[in-house]
Amino acid sequence: MVFSSVLFLFRFLPIFLICYFMVPQRMKNVILFLGSLVFYAWGEPVYVFLMLFSTVLDYSLGRLIDINRKNGSAKVFLGMSILVNVMILGFFKYADFLLQTVNGVFGTQIPLLGLPLPIGISFYTFQTMSYTIDVYRGEAKVQKNLLDFGVFVTMFPQLIAGPIVKYRQVQNDLHRRSVDVCRISEGAKRFVAGLAKKVLIANNMGELWKLVSGMESQSMSMLTAWMGILSFAFQIYFDFSGYSDMAIGLGTMFGFTFPENFNYPYISASVTEFWRRWHITLGSWFREYVYIPLGGNRKGLGRQILNILIVWMLTGIWHGAGFHFLFWGLWFALFLILEKLFFGRVLDALPKFMGRCYTWLVVLFGWVFFALETPGAIRGYLRAMFGMSGASLMDQQGLFLGREYLVLFLVAAIASTPLIKGLIQKLGSAGTGYSIALYRLGEKVIPPVLLLLSVAYVVDASYNPFLYFRF
Amino acid sequence: MDEKRNALFTAGMLAAILLVFLIADLFHGDRVYSEMENRLLTKRPELSRETFLTGEFMEAYEEYLTDQFVGRDKWVGLKTRMDILSGKKDINGVYLGRDDYLIEQHPAEMFSRQEEVKKAVQLRKLVEEWDARVMLVPTADNILTDKMPSHGACYDETRLLQEVREQVGERSYIDVYSVLWEHKDEEIYYRTDHHWTSRGAYYGYLAWTKETHSFLYPYNVDNMTTVSENFRGTLHSKVPVVGTRDIIQIFPETELRKVSVTYDFGRAATSFYEPGHLDTKNQYAYFLDDNHAFIEIETDYKTDRTLFLIKDSYANSMIPLLQPHYSRIYVLDPRYYNGSVSELMKQYEPEGGMDVLVLYNCVHFMEDFRY
Repeated sequence: MVFSSVLFLFRFLPIFLICYFMVPQRMKNVILFLGSLVFYAWGEPVYVFLMLFSTVLDYSLGRLIDINRKNGSAKVFLGMSILVNVMILGFFKYADFLLQTVNGVFGTQIPLLGLPLPIGISFYTFQTMSYTIDVYRGEAKVQKNLLDFGVFVTMFPQLIAGPIVKYRQVQNDLHRRSVDVCRISEGAKRFVAGLAKKVLIANNMGELWKLVSGMESQSMSMLTAWMGILSFAFQIYFDFSGYSDMAIGLGTMFGFTFPENFNYPYISASVTEFWRRWHITLGSWFREYVYIPLGGNRKGLGRQILNILIVWMLTGIWHGAGFHFLFWGLWFALFLILEKLFFGRVLDALPKFMGRCYTWLVVLFGWVFFALETPGAIRGYLRAMFGMSGASLMDQQGLFLGREYLVLFLVAAIASTPLIKGLIQKLGSAGTGYSIALYRLGEKVIPPVLLLLSVAYVVDASYNPFLYFRF
Repeated sequence: MDEKRNALFTAGMLAAILLVFLIADLFHGDRVYSEMENRLLTKRPELSRETFLTGEFMEAYEEYLTDQFVGRDKWVGLKTRMDILSGKKDINGVYLGRDDYLIEQHPAEMFSRQEEVKKAVQLRKLVEEWDARVMLVPTADNILTDKMPSHGACYDETRLLQEVREQVGERSYIDVYSVLWEHKDEEIYYRTDHHWTSRGAYYGYLAWTKETHSFLYPYNVDNMTTVSENFRGTLHSKVPVVGTRDIIQIFPETELRKVSVTYDFGRAATSFYEPGHLDTKNQYAYFLDDNHAFIEIETDYKTDRTLFLIKDSYANSMIPLLQPHYSRIYVLDPRYYNGSVSELMKQYEPEGGMDVLVLYNCVHFMEDFRY
């Protein structure tokens, strides 16, 4: 089930909220767990059992680690947890990719498994691993209540698209949490903002990208190519960060404090900064559980560069089983290493504006590798971006699309910066009657309006008028 | 305290929106068909073990919920309005042109050169066998260039017309393009429908008389009869929020004499026009009762000449203008006729021979013409 659907907004969510807020405190986790199972099983009626298996397994291993802490076999149980999680992820996500690669390299004909990827598996395996590792390290208390642990793994707000919550970040909330009307209202507003980002901006940007990526790159003008990849950049940002906003907002309504996942990445003045602002919970997971255990920057420059390469290969491949994702990860590793070596100091000396341009270019070319799958398609698209496709600098089509999407691009650009947030804060904290009145009015009017507009786009999503009816 | 009240208000508003529409939707019956979107809506799917396990049921159910959601037409309208407000000129494959014109979109590469040549060669075969005349009418995007949105692409029909002209020869080619271009500032296309108006059809008739050296019946374009003032055509269905309405006019001269029209070898009528359709959405069907495979027309003009017309719906508004020239007009729309076109033509050819005319708009010609 996705948040931006009629089913979620007008069936699941209101019914769930009524149940959740009606039951007494001690029953809330039961409702949250059952609701999450329904939510997940709607999309994955079979794989829901895989998730439950993973839950029970990591719960048990967590207990075993705790019990055997003194006698040294804790390490074995931690190893088992990591092995099983990585194997589950590897089997469902990468088996076919590996088989294809083997077939390609050795000319073998091993049949592919063709298994569909269980939704959210990359997220919940990372979450459960954070639990067993933290329990082993003594950074989190062991969870003795299977229900509470089940809530941590399966909780529907962040189950399928993050943020990746580390167990210790919510361990207290799992047991006891309180909400008041202010928190509920904050959470609801955050949810609506996320929904609007996803439905009003990301989906419409997606339409432009679908159009452009469906064109022949040989006849694509430079204008169209740049507009296309820009639309993808905005689509993926507003899609993903919108989803995170919805998750964080729902969590807030239920009394959880989830970590932030995005912090205006497109205003970054270096690639290093970009990765501190983009998909923060994934970056912090890899840093804490891979980069630092590998030695981080404490074992000399050579080792640090190797560690960066390893982490960014993993980051790339985490996004999907494909060489282009691997390449995408390495592309960023290259600039991160350059910035570590000397380029970071150059950037510091330059005006911030130039750092932003450089970062935008690196990120946009990165999205070409990310969004297009085959080397041929990537090469063709890059040629079009450099005006080497043989087509013109700009054509009627590019100009037409530019005009069609101008307003959307402007809205997306402004929404990618902290401008709006700053304005809201300024109005809200102002002492004068005029600003505060405007703030109060906006607070009342804007969320319902955004919700209604988003619903219109959600309902319209199935509107595919006949192209050629004419009678 | 103030803060708490505000929070309560916002949360309450949002919750109310979800609840009100949830309840309204539960009591809202299902529709089979959406007139606004001109399509069938999804029905409630059947639950079975297999469709549940594969997830097919859930997918179909979500589609069903969305299609049958309460106030769907209003939501779709709101979305379209938002798109228009954000400056979009391309809504569901229709251009929002200047002066309230809705113009059907045809992508620049809609048909390849090879496809055009293939169709033109087919047409040439017909022309050579029957000494037929050919009228291909450009669509609005090719003529109303001043009304098109800036940089709006269209399928350039002049290349097709040039190819056809070369294939069928000057004698058979009737140049509709030039005469429409000459009158492009007049009301020759509907604003909300993809057809040409009766005035547009009249200019087509003008070109026909000129190039076939026929006499020109003195229709008076300044004295047409209005039969409807609230026509909203096929293009309006795709952009159902614009307020524009078209008027449908006819030439009163076409109703002076008796006529007998037989549709599909069955129902007979005594007029080219069917006023019953003016109360429906599809008002263009006023002309010759919408689409029929085969129509036989007996006019009251004793010319003893016969016309065999192979056509699309564009012809419907021009046929009445041809009556002074023919005693009999046979009208074939190959889209709805499964048999051999040439067999049918031979069957209906009178002793003294007959005129043959092919009348399509360029796009329909490429899509539907066959011989």
